Amino acid sequence: MKTSRSFEIFAIVFAVVFALVYVVAVEQNYALFTYHPITYSLGWGVQAPADGPAMYWFGWMATAALTGGVSALVACRLPLGLTRFLRPALAWLVPLGVLLAFGYMLSSFFLR
Amino acid sequence: MWTILLIIHGLLAVALLGAITHQVLNAWLPAPKPATTFEQRFRAVHGGGYVNAIIVLYILSFIAGAIIYPEYRVSIRVVVEQMEAWAENGAFELKEHFAAVGMAMLPAYWYYWHQPGAEHHGTRKAITAILAFVVWWNFLTGHILNNIRGFGA
Repeated sequence: MKTSRSFEIFAIVFAVVFALVYVVAVEQNYALFTYHPITYSLGWGVQAPADGPAMYWFGWMATAALTGGVSALVACRLPLGLTRFLRPALAWLVPLGVLLAFGYMLSSFFLR
Repeated sequence: MWTILLIIHGLLAVALLGAITHQVLNAWLPAPKPATTFEQRFRAVHGGGYVNAIIVLYILSFIAGAIIYPEYRVSIRVVVEQMEAWAENGAFELKEHFAAVGMAMLPAYWYYWHQPGAEHHGTRKAITAILAFVVWWNFLTGHILNNIRGFGA
């Protein structure tokens, strides 16, 4: 099955932008929302823990998915000439770099 | 209920682990034809035939894990921290990030496995290897943490 170049652009841009935004969202705590598991409640943005821990992971993913999705949809609409630099290798090189970055950022857990 | 969900999460992960291990070995070390030994037959699968199943299993496993995660955060992680099991705690932190980044690669994974010919063979191999690493890391980490504080703990 041969699928379109526009889906390829979507897939590359989504993988790249999601991965980059996700690592920044984790590092800077840019969560779109906060989940409070004790009270089963959601709140917009980053909220302090209340009645137990606050969970930001869902919010970080929402931030990255929204940014990645919008960026990918916009990139699909661009003229093909403008997206020629989007090489297939970006779809795995950037996520791989982000995985390694997380390994470095969390290395203190393994070095105690 | 959490135990049932954890078992479902684990079963989905086992199926995913098997499927992606077949596929990644087929992509990197294609078996000779005809495959005669068990190890060769393990590699002699049609890798493209696994793509949709792997995507569905990854998403379902991810959803099951996301449902369980708050219970882990409230009931398990605190204990793991009290035990000063820092490496295990760190492994789980990596698990959640690896799972998210792996999810973002699924559209590209699907796309490049549906392109005929050898043009994108390298991309297919690389994406599949990264996803296989993520799946193996997450499976082993979940298994270890379940051993620490799983069923009946």
